[in-house]
Amino acid sequence: MAQQVQPLPYGVGHTSRAWIAWVAALAAVAIAGWYGWSVEISRGMIVTGLRDIGPMGGATWGLDVAFIVYWVGVSFAGITIAALIRLASLHALKPIARMAEALTVVALLAATFAIMYDLGQPLRGVVNLFRYARPQSPFFGTFTLVISGYLFASLVYLYLDGRADAAALARMPSRLRWFHRLWAAGYRGTPAERARHDRTAFWLAIAIVPLLVTAHSTLGFVFGLQVGRPGWYSALQAPAFVLLAGVSGLGALIVIAVIVRRTVPDAEIPDAAFRWLGTALLVLLLAYLYFMVVEILTNIYTGAARERDVTRELLFGDFAPIYWASVASFAISVGLLILRIVRRGVGLGLLVTAGILVNLGAIGKRFLIVVPSQTHGTLLPYGTGSYAPTWVEYIEAIGLFAFCAFLLIVFAKVFPIVPLNRAPRGGEAA
Amino acid sequence: MARYGMVIDLDRCTGCRGCMVSCKIENNTPQGSYWMYVFRFEEGEYPATKVRFMPRPCQHCDNAPCVKVCPVGARYKREDGLVATDWQRCIGCRYCEVACPYGVNTFNWGHPEEHYYFDWNAEDVAPEVRGTIPAWDNPSLDEPYGPEQRHIAGGGHLKGVVDKCTFCVQRVEEGLDPACVQNCPVRALIFGDLDDPESEPAKILERRPSFRLLEEAGTEPRVHYVGGAPPTSETRQIEPAKAEV
Repeated sequence: MAQQVQPLPYGVGHTSRAWIAWVAALAAVAIAGWYGWSVEISRGMIVTGLRDIGPMGGATWGLDVAFIVYWVGVSFAGITIAALIRLASLHALKPIARMAEALTVVALLAATFAIMYDLGQPLRGVVNLFRYARPQSPFFGTFTLVISGYLFASLVYLYLDGRADAAALARMPSRLRWFHRLWAAGYRGTPAERARHDRTAFWLAIAIVPLLVTAHSTLGFVFGLQVGRPGWYSALQAPAFVLLAGVSGLGALIVIAVIVRRTVPDAEIPDAAFRWLGTALLVLLLAYLYFMVVEILTNIYTGAARERDVTRELLFGDFAPIYWASVASFAISVGLLILRIVRRGVGLGLLVTAGILVNLGAIGKRFLIVVPSQTHGTLLPYGTGSYAPTWVEYIEAIGLFAFCAFLLIVFAKVFPIVPLNRAPRGGEAA
Repeated sequence: MARYGMVIDLDRCTGCRGCMVSCKIENNTPQGSYWMYVFRFEEGEYPATKVRFMPRPCQHCDNAPCVKVCPVGARYKREDGLVATDWQRCIGCRYCEVACPYGVNTFNWGHPEEHYYFDWNAEDVAPEVRGTIPAWDNPSLDEPYGPEQRHIAGGGHLKGVVDKCTFCVQRVEEGLDPACVQNCPVRALIFGDLDDPESEPAKILERRPSFRLLEEAGTEPRVHYVGGAPPTSETRQIEPAKAEV
């Protein structure tokens, strides 16, 4: 074992008792989620609250699908930040780039699990989705563009972006040296290597921006192209999905960045990064609220009979509590974010509250996109249906949050979650 | 090539739901899932109310939304007009179910049982069925069908995949009518080749005004209704046949 001369930067490799407790707790919750899945696999999806649309009066897509959409939405943050740093030269964001990329990767892994939870035959899904893939299905984009392309691009970006840091860490003796050597893979930091990495990352960032829009749009098309479900069939679905993805993704990123600033030793995340995140979240949130108003107005003013029924259920019926809770959490977040700007401070408390609230609101909205059009939107007069998730669906969903948090805090201990400040700064102003 | 379709005479239907029963026996569908469903409607205000019935099999659409959205091509359109599910390929994502405006798809939520309604080998049942091959033991239900040579029919109840009305392909392939048509006591359901002008359903459609359900959805259903009218926003369902699963 190598002698420990000096500790690695940002607490890498240093495990405290609190950290171990957190890892154990998160792992336990994540495993509980997979236990729920195992029950679902062995006994069939009858253990969920889902049932057939129609005579059975149920919803066939429920919490699982809402969380597929939610997690893919959260993955929005990483790539966006990475691309913005490269393309818009927002160097203030550089310290949060790594955690944003890591968030993207873990969120996409969670989305993959959520898709698996939703399949009646998950093993067949792994094989058949690729073997018999049909580009005509709106679902095609979800597992090609989003899960495969997006995840792959994010991993490549995370890898390339981290190589210089890995090389720096590999020069320091530690138990994790093998890992940092593996990551560095012969990187020495010569000017030629740096130029090549910069160039690659730049073109990757350019390629990723259209991928970002199309990937989140295809997820919107899964719903927006269905004429048979009142409340879904709308050209607004795809752009609204992109916007809400940005809202939940930036919200989650803010929460993580604040946690890192508070807990990771020496992590310097400049106030400018938080100011920028807060303003970006506010802009996206306002745009999304505008979309919501347009959608509701269209549906209650001109909507066909069934569209009106679904909208009425949202505004005043069975789903009103969730709907108005989501609206309230968005509205309060807007207030908090404006208050932060007015006060001119960093306002980390306000930011974190807004970040958590928009994510709760986003989960609520995802649920409302998925469910009411099935239980209250049958075009033949089947009557109204109902859907209530069971403990299996809840534990699966909670397990995914724990799974993501687990991966992130483990990652922060094996690799610097904040990019290292290199000695030759090259004129980069934070 | 015959292109099958169904004509449903709403003037004749008495709402006895015999077609639903025969469908369940033939296809051994799980409790609560109805490949054939008969709506019992009520319209108007008391005392001027009217009761109507409307059978609803799968519409076997020519422009089927379920076929369009299936990510793995498990839902497919056969040359003879039937919309079928390859239960050996289906991954159970249930996209077909949310895409269908008619609500005809059913999912196998739990482990299917071998026979839901009769044990044909039971002492008191055996003499009645006189050696008939029970639906759940029908060897042709396990075979691939038609020019596509793909799996379809009711024998494929498998946990975690989607099922729906097959127009009883295992009977149609042998030149028989679907079970619901066979069992209708008032001949309200008429099955046949809609492309053949001499077939019974084609003749009815030529003679009488007809409509199809939700034509505005652009699905081009192959099930035509004669007599009566499509349900309106004033139509209420009475006695929904709901079951716990």
